[in-house]
Amino acid sequence: MNLKKSRNFGESSMSLDGIGKQDAGDTKRKRKVAEITQALNATPVDVATLRRMAISEGGLMSHEIRRKVWPRLLNVPDESIPEKLDEVDRENNKDYNQVLLDVQRSLRRFPPGMPDEQRMGLQEELIDIILRVLQKNPQLHYYQGYHDIVVTFLLVLGERLATALVEKLSTHHLRDFMDPTMDNTKHILNYLMPIIERVNPEVYDFMQQAEVGTIFALSWLITWFGHVLSDFRHVVRLYDFFLACHPLMPIYFAAVIVLYREEEVLDCECDMAMMHHLLSQIPQDLPYETLISRAGDLFVQFPPSELAKGATRERAQQTAASTFTDFDLASAQQQPETVLRRRQREQKQQQKQHGSTLNPQSGTVSVIRPAARRLVRLAVMGITVALGAAALAVVNSALEWAPKLDLLFP
Amino acid sequence: MANEAHGRGEGAGLASNSLELSTSLERSVQTRIFKIIVIGDSNVGKTCLTFRFTGGSFPDKTEATIGVDFREKAVEIEGERIKVQVWDTAGQERFRKSMVEHYYRNVHAVVFVYDVTKMVSFENLKTWIQECNGHRVSASVPRVLVGNKCDLVDQIQVPSNMALKFADAHNMLLFETSAKDPKESQNVDSIFMCLACRLKAQKSLIYWNVEREDGKVRLNQEPDPKTNCPC
Repeated sequence: MNLKKSRNFGESSMSLDGIGKQDAGDTKRKRKVAEITQALNATPVDVATLRRMAISEGGLMSHEIRRKVWPRLLNVPDESIPEKLDEVDRENNKDYNQVLLDVQRSLRRFPPGMPDEQRMGLQEELIDIILRVLQKNPQLHYYQGYHDIVVTFLLVLGERLATALVEKLSTHHLRDFMDPTMDNTKHILNYLMPIIERVNPEVYDFMQQAEVGTIFALSWLITWFGHVLSDFRHVVRLYDFFLACHPLMPIYFAAVIVLYREEEVLDCECDMAMMHHLLSQIPQDLPYETLISRAGDLFVQFPPSELAKGATRERAQQTAASTFTDFDLASAQQQPETVLRRRQREQKQQQKQHGSTLNPQSGTVSVIRPAARRLVRLAVMGITVALGAAALAVVNSALEWAPKLDLLFP
Repeated sequence: MANEAHGRGEGAGLASNSLELSTSLERSVQTRIFKIIVIGDSNVGKTCLTFRFTGGSFPDKTEATIGVDFREKAVEIEGERIKVQVWDTAGQERFRKSMVEHYYRNVHAVVFVYDVTKMVSFENLKTWIQECNGHRVSASVPRVLVGNKCDLVDQIQVPSNMALKFADAHNMLLFETSAKDPKESQNVDSIFMCLACRLKAQKSLIYWNVEREDGKVRLNQEPDPKTNCPC
């Protein structure tokens, strides 16, 4: 793979713990680039390795690599994308006015210092990509925030590739957000509290008491954090992660952010307004790599099927293993909260019996607090995260739905 | 905004920790909260208005609001310190139904915003009023109408008299203002201050600390005797 420098906006680098580790970091980085190159050159392309690379520390490292790997993660090979883009009929598009308003106001999404002329050219391209995808897929509806996702693809990939990838993303990962109403989006937000409850019931109870709701996380979810993070390097790092994972991963990541801010939440006044305010102001210095690892970890511990499915184990066994189905299930039925409350009671009883075997101090996942001891495997997972195995497990779960993806992505 | 929030937290702790506090001291640390929701079409300037009021300045790069944003400002009216909470909402229709619902609960006032340079944003006020009524906002909750962007004098599409007529018909006060023009910033302040004055005169507002102290909602039943507000 040719990794020459070209249009690079906010190029990311691998984040490492200390300056002294720079050499080690370089070696690590080189090894990663070699592994990615090998996976890309394999026949067929080794998508599993690419997913693992996108999830593991540092993600895909550069836009040059992203341009090669993102299309593979979405199963849109470059050669399948037509050279010529469809014409856009701006005037006859029902969403044109809203798109225009939002894109015109999206100045902050462009790298600071970019000449106005260049930015304005990109804004025109942004409008065209959005309208092109919408006119080709009349079942999709524009929402404010969609432009924050599309701009990320545009800045990394350029107009042609971005159009193809955004279209695939919109008909899959973002599909529920693009319904005529936001009912399904609301439903997906309903996954947030059950995850928090499982990891830290104290935080959960406090938030419930404050009646804070989940709208503070709405823009996180529907823009994949593109709307709320000011550093573009963080945004693309998260996109590496989300593109490689299950479509519900952003909600796990949202939960991880809330849990990471546990102390602030518990110190906050138990009041809807104050808590909404606190939570919606996302800290800009989050330890992204740690949080990504935790989100992957939580996904493995509490897969969507477990959050959503019925209480009885028998029923669970009948459920198809594909987690991609979870995504469909999510928009169809059930009340996760009720289920989880019952499970929580069950687990508390189990803990009373087996509590002494838990060692919350072991492992690296600080979300495991004595009060939150839920499952013995929590502690086990803590150790595996340190080894990077959680990332692997997430890949494996992604692979579970990969065959299904192949059906869905013809 | 942020430090105001901290200040209130300390006050609450003080009140709840010392049971011996005299009634007068208790009253002095109590802060009433006025909750105001700002609604209207996309890009009429809701975010800029709330910024102007709570932060004093016109933000040069506002983006589309996704969902609901919250801002707060402490004001003093006739010696009473009052917190004005402003809920700034997304303008796109799809957010109204399922998302914003939660935030209409217990609002003390509603601010309807239109853009004086966009007739359609004025025409859509009808839908916004329906929307508001649909969320069971009581008729006694004061509503004001704000025509924004009046600094763009040569682009005005909504004549003042038309807006005034509409405001009268719907029992609202009308303000024409510009969140952008620094000379108009007082006018922006007066919108929210006027609402706060009206609300202060109402009796059924929650004393925040009292609510916190014993976990129950208690209402201040004493009507305010003096109302020498500007409006």
